[in-house]
Amino acid sequence: MLAVSLKGLTWIFARVGNLTFGGGNPTMAALQSELVTTRHWLDEEEYALIYALARITPGTNLLAFSAAAAWKILGWIGAVCAVLALTIPSAAVVVLLTRGYQAWNANALAMAAIGGTLAAASGMMATSAWQLLAPQIRRGRRVRAVVIFLAALIASGWFSMPPIEVLGLAALLGLLWQAPMDK
Amino acid sequence: MNLLVLYLLLLKAVVTSFSGLTSLPVVRHDLVEQRHVLTDRQLNAAVAAGRTAPGPNGLYIVSVGYFVAGIPGACMGCLAVMTPAFLIIPMLRYLGARADRPAVKNAIQCVMLAAAGLVVSSTVPLARDALTSPLAVGIALGSFLFLVLTRKDTLWVVLGAAIVGLLGRLL
Repeated sequence: MLAVSLKGLTWIFARVGNLTFGGGNPTMAALQSELVTTRHWLDEEEYALIYALARITPGTNLLAFSAAAAWKILGWIGAVCAVLALTIPSAAVVVLLTRGYQAWNANALAMAAIGGTLAAASGMMATSAWQLLAPQIRRGRRVRAVVIFLAALIASGWFSMPPIEVLGLAALLGLLWQAPMDK
Repeated sequence: MNLLVLYLLLLKAVVTSFSGLTSLPVVRHDLVEQRHVLTDRQLNAAVAAGRTAPGPNGLYIVSVGYFVAGIPGACMGCLAVMTPAFLIIPMLRYLGARADRPAVKNAIQCVMLAAAGLVVSSTVPLARDALTSPLAVGIALGSFLFLVLTRKDTLWVVLGAAIVGLLGRLL
């Protein structure tokens, strides 16, 4: 096991978190390699528990995962440094991209390119919905998946029900309408 | 807009979601429909900016904050994204043993399904704003199929869509 230092831990989260594209899952896989396989700062069971809890923590799974993993290794100071290291540089890039969008708003060629990215954003959002839905459409869970998906779509799209109420009702329904779990 | 109110509204959106873009319906409801401090076009641009940058997918919230209140708004967005992450620590301490309970898993699965419905519901008005030509519709469909079938990085989709949009204008 390699020695743990706050500087070393923060650097790992900054490097892996800000240089890995594709969101949470590829980044958590890269962190597993760094923290479990290479440095043995976490064991496989701790990683699995943190990964599972990150999935049920509200907000961004990757940040919850990072906070918990760093807390397990170095306590609260580790958790705060890991979350800051993972978020601040990427957030600065997001601000620069947003400023670019505003600055090029009057340029026809730039707006044509930006128009392409805005169209792609609709495709990305549809992909996001599909990725949430697809794992649930399987034997034993199909009916519940389709019913809840359509009910949420109709409640929000047609009846303008606030999202929080839709999600709360869905959680309640999940407690009442149980489906078989994966082994 | 008051920065504390902006922070609390963005925090509400983040806290009621369980992955990157599932906070989108709450953001749209509060900032586009209710308070009119953000447009659908800006929200679309925020999603594109958030997905182009490295790091967590939920960082589009930073761009939303920037559109509403400049750099201080972006800082509020950044804080709102980071704050809920620390909820996992008491959960890790006290609830770790219950994470495998079927009732908890079932509730989470249903929340994810409802979130998928909400994301589709909030995509419709954004798509209405962005998909104003056959080329734009083609880019959106192509992006969806590319991401679903290949699982490649969204960075390539954004770059490819920008190039196709530019070529469409030049040709």
